[in-house]
Amino acid sequence: MSLDIEMMRNIGISAHIDSGKTTLSERILFFCQKIHAIHEVRGKDGVGATMDSMELEKERGITIASAATNVVWKDHPVNIIDTPGHVDFTIEVERALRVLDGAVLVLCSVAGVQSQSITVDRQLKRYGVPRVAFVNKTDRTGANPYKVRDQLEEKLGLNSVMMQVPIGLEDKHVGVIDLITMKALYFDGDENYAVRETEIPSELVDEAAEKREIMLEAVSMFDDELMEKVMEGEDVPEELLNKAIRTGTLANELVPVYIGSAYKNKGVQPLLDAVMRYLPSPPDIENKALDLDNDEEEVILPSDPSKPPVALAFKLEDGQYGQLTYIRIYQGTIKKGADLFNVRSKRKFKVGRLVRMHSNSMEDITEAGTGDIVALFGVDCASGDTFCGGDLNLSMTSMFVPNPVISLSVQPKDKAASDKMAKALNRFTKEDPTFRTYVDPETNDTIIQGMGELHLEVYIERMRREYQAEVDTGAPQVAYREAISKRVEWEYTHKKQTGGSGQYAKIKGLMEPLKDENYEFVTKIKGGNIPTEYIPSCDKGFQTAMKKGALLGFPVVNVKMTVLDGASHAVDSSDMAFQTAGLMGFREAYRKAGPIILEPIMKVVVEGPTEFQGNIFGSINQRRGMILASQEEGVNSTVEAEVPLSEMFGYSTTLRSSTQGKAEFTMEFAKFAKVPQSIGEELIKKAEEAKKAGK
Amino acid sequence: MIKKELINKSPLRKMDNSIHGGVGIGNIGVIAARRGIGKTACLVHIATDKLMAGKHVIHVSYAKKVDHIISWYEDIFKEISLKRDLEKAMDIHDEIVKNRVIMNFSQQGTSVIQVIAGVSAMMDNAQMDTSVIVVDGFDFTKSSVEDVAAFKSFAGNKEVELWFTDDYHRDDSDGPTLNEKGIPTNLVSFMDQIDVIFTLKAEKDYLHLYLVKDHETINTEDLPLKLDPKSLLIAEV
Repeated sequence: MSLDIEMMRNIGISAHIDSGKTTLSERILFFCQKIHAIHEVRGKDGVGATMDSMELEKERGITIASAATNVVWKDHPVNIIDTPGHVDFTIEVERALRVLDGAVLVLCSVAGVQSQSITVDRQLKRYGVPRVAFVNKTDRTGANPYKVRDQLEEKLGLNSVMMQVPIGLEDKHVGVIDLITMKALYFDGDENYAVRETEIPSELVDEAAEKREIMLEAVSMFDDELMEKVMEGEDVPEELLNKAIRTGTLANELVPVYIGSAYKNKGVQPLLDAVMRYLPSPPDIENKALDLDNDEEEVILPSDPSKPPVALAFKLEDGQYGQLTYIRIYQGTIKKGADLFNVRSKRKFKVGRLVRMHSNSMEDITEAGTGDIVALFGVDCASGDTFCGGDLNLSMTSMFVPNPVISLSVQPKDKAASDKMAKALNRFTKEDPTFRTYVDPETNDTIIQGMGELHLEVYIERMRREYQAEVDTGAPQVAYREAISKRVEWEYTHKKQTGGSGQYAKIKGLMEPLKDENYEFVTKIKGGNIPTEYIPSCDKGFQTAMKKGALLGFPVVNVKMTVLDGASHAVDSSDMAFQTAGLMGFREAYRKAGPIILEPIMKVVVEGPTEFQGNIFGSINQRRGMILASQEEGVNSTVEAEVPLSEMFGYSTTLRSSTQGKAEFTMEFAKFAKVPQSIGEELIKKAEEAKKAGK
Repeated sequence: MIKKELINKSPLRKMDNSIHGGVGIGNIGVIAARRGIGKTACLVHIATDKLMAGKHVIHVSYAKKVDHIISWYEDIFKEISLKRDLEKAMDIHDEIVKNRVIMNFSQQGTSVIQVIAGVSAMMDNAQMDTSVIVVDGFDFTKSSVEDVAAFKSFAGNKEVELWFTDDYHRDDSDGPTLNEKGIPTNLVSFMDQIDVIFTLKAEKDYLHLYLVKDHETINTEDLPLKLDPKSLLIAEV
C-alpha cells in the first residue's frame, strides 16, 4: 500500500550528546503507540531504548548508527531517522540528513546551545533541512528555555520563536501554555500519557499574552493577511497562524521552539503535533540527482509515484533477519518483484522482500511510493548507492569520497578472532565508504583507515561487541600523501637482453602537478610509436608507481601524466615491458619533480570561557595551528583554527588541563596541505630508520 | 606581475606618501564615511596590503558572523591579483592567510577593555608578530575619550599601528556630519588620540578619498585616490 504522500513526514532528531535525543525518540515511538513499555537509555531493566539497536550504543548512551522507524501520529505516517551526533561519523550523519525532510533540533534547557548543537545545525543548514527546536530537560535544576531561545538566535543565527510558555520550571514543571490556542496543557493524566487542556492559570495570563505578542510579530512576517490582522488588532484565526508558521519554517526562516521534558513525558505530544503541522512532506522539498549520462548534471526529481523509481540506499544493517538495506524513494514506486539497477555497480537486481521497519519488528509490504523510507532484503550493495528503475542512470550522491586521514594496524588475538575480524571489516567497508582496510604487504598487518581517531575506535568497539573479534591495535598513524611541485619532461628506456625473448620499451612523457584530482592520464602519441595496445600498460605502470612515493612510501596524489612519444620493438616489446618503463620512468621523473609531503589538516573549533582564551590560543599555536578567527560573546569564546592532524593527538587532555575542563573542541577533516620543510625532513628520516629497522 | 612590484605600484603607496610614510607605530588612523560607502572595503584593502608586505594583521570586528569578513578578504585579494595579474597568487594567498587572524566580538556593547584583553591574549599566545590591527565597526559616537585613549596606549605598548573605520552617520541625526575643517563631528573630541583621518565622499560615479588630518596638520587635502565602485579597491583617480 502506498501512503498518502502529503501526510507523510520523514524527520530526524538531531542533538548534542546527552541532550536526551534517544529518550525523546523513544517517547515519540511510545506516544505513537508502537511500543508498549518505556525503557530508559541507560536502562535499569537492561532492555534499552528501542531506537538504539546496537549493543555499543546502549553502553555508551549515545546513538551511533541511523535506523529508520515508521510510526503513525494522528493519521500521519512518520519515518524517524535517528541521526548520529558525533562529527567523527560525518558520512553517516550526512547520509541520514539527505534522506530526511525535516528535523527536530533537541537542546538541553540547562546547557543550551553546545558545540555539537552548532555542528549538527551547520549540517542541517548545509542540506537546507527545516527544523523545529525542542528545549528538553525543563525539569532540571537551572533550566531556562528563554536563554536557550536567545542562544539559538545568537549562536546559530536562527530566527527562533517560543511557541509555548512553561508552567513552572525545574521540579515545578508541570505543563506548558500553547501560545496559538492560548490554553494550558498539563501532562498529568494516567502516567502522564494523556494531555489535559484547561484555561491558563491566572498568574501566567499576562506573561502568556506578552509572549504571544512576540510570537505574532515574528510569525506575521510570513503572511500578509496575518500581518494586516495583527496590525489592526483583529482576532487571528488559528489556521492562518499555522499557515504562516509553516511558510516560515519551510523557507528555513523561522524555527518554532517547543519545550518539555521527554524523560518526564512532558511536552512530547505538542511537539509531535508541531512536526505534522510545520515540517515538510516529501513533495514540499526539491530533491536533486546527478545525471551520470550527462556529466553529473543536476536534475530535479519530481515527487511523482508514476515515474520510474529512484532510491538512495542510505544505511545497511546486519540484523537478526539478515542483511537489510534502508532506502529512501525519491521518485516513482518500488514494487516487490520489480527490477532495479544499481548505478554504481551497474548491476540489475530483483526486489525480493520489501519491508517497512517499525522499531524492532518489520512488516512485509508489496510496494512503497515516492517519499517513503523502507528496507530491502538481501541486496548486494554499499551505503550511498543509488537504485534506479527504467533506463535512468541517476545518482543521488556524487561519487566523491574523501581520502582517509588516519590509519591504525589491527591484529586479531587468535585464529577465531581472525575470521570474525575479516567478516566485520568486510561489513564495515560496505557500510561506510570513508572506512577502508588493506593488508600492508611489507608487515602483513591489517590496516584500517578512517576520518578520525574516534571513527576508528567505534569500529574497533563494534568488532568486539557485534562480532566478538578481540583485536590488538597499533598506535594511530597519520595518512600522509606525497605530491610533486614542479613540471618535468622525462624519458625512460627499459631494455633487457638476457637470453630468451628480451624486453624493450621507451616512453617520453610529461609529469605535472594537478589540482584537486588525484590522477589524470593523457596520451599524445601519434603515428604508433607506442602501439595502441601498450598505451594502457604505461598508465598501469604509472599508477603502480603512485601507490608508494619515494619520500615516505605514502601514495602520490595530484599528478598528471602525459605520454608524448616513445619507441617499441617488434619482438621484445610487451605489456610487461611498458608497465616497467612506466613505473621506472615515473620514479625517475618523480625525483626531479620536487616531491613534497602532504598532511591532513583538520578544521578545529574550540569553545570555552573567555577567561581561558589565552590558553586556548596558545594550545593551538603550539600545535602548528593556524587561528582563522575567534568569536567572543561575553563569557564564551569560540576559536576556529586549522591544525595538522599529526599535532592533534592528545589534544583533549591538554585542553582539559589548561582550561579546568571548561573548554571542548570538535574537529573534522579540512584539506591536505604541504608539510613544512623541517618537519618533512624529520618524517623522511624516521621513515628511513623504520625501513632499516624493518630489514 | 610579481608581488614586490605589486606592492610598489599599489595606489596605497600614494596614501602612505600623503601622510609622511604611514600612520606609524603606536598611532591611530581612521577611515570615516557615511554608512554603506565602502569603509570595510578600504580597511580590508589596507590590511591586505600590509599582509602582502609580510606583516601580521589582526582584524577586529563587531559583526554578526565571521564568514562575511573572510569573504571580504577573499574578494579583495581576488580583485587585486586579477587586476595586477599576480604571479603565484595561490601561494601568496596561503601565506597571507597564515598571518591574518579575525577576532569578532559579536555581543553588543563589548567594552574596550574586553576587546583589548582579547587582542592582547591573541598577541601574547599566538600572533606574536602582529604589527597592524584594523578595527571595523567601532562606534565612536558611543565612546569616551578614555576608550580611544586606551586603544592608543595599547597601540604604544604593543608597538602596533591601529586602523579604525568611522561611520559618522550612525545615529541618523540630521545635524552636520563634518565640521568646518572637514572633520567628522563624532571624531572631534578624539583629536588628541587620532593621528590620521581619511574621509570618503561620494562623487558622481565613484568615491573620492580626502585626507583631513595628517598627524599634526589639520587640513583637507584632495588625494588623487578613489574607491572604485566596481572592484571596491582603492585606485588612482
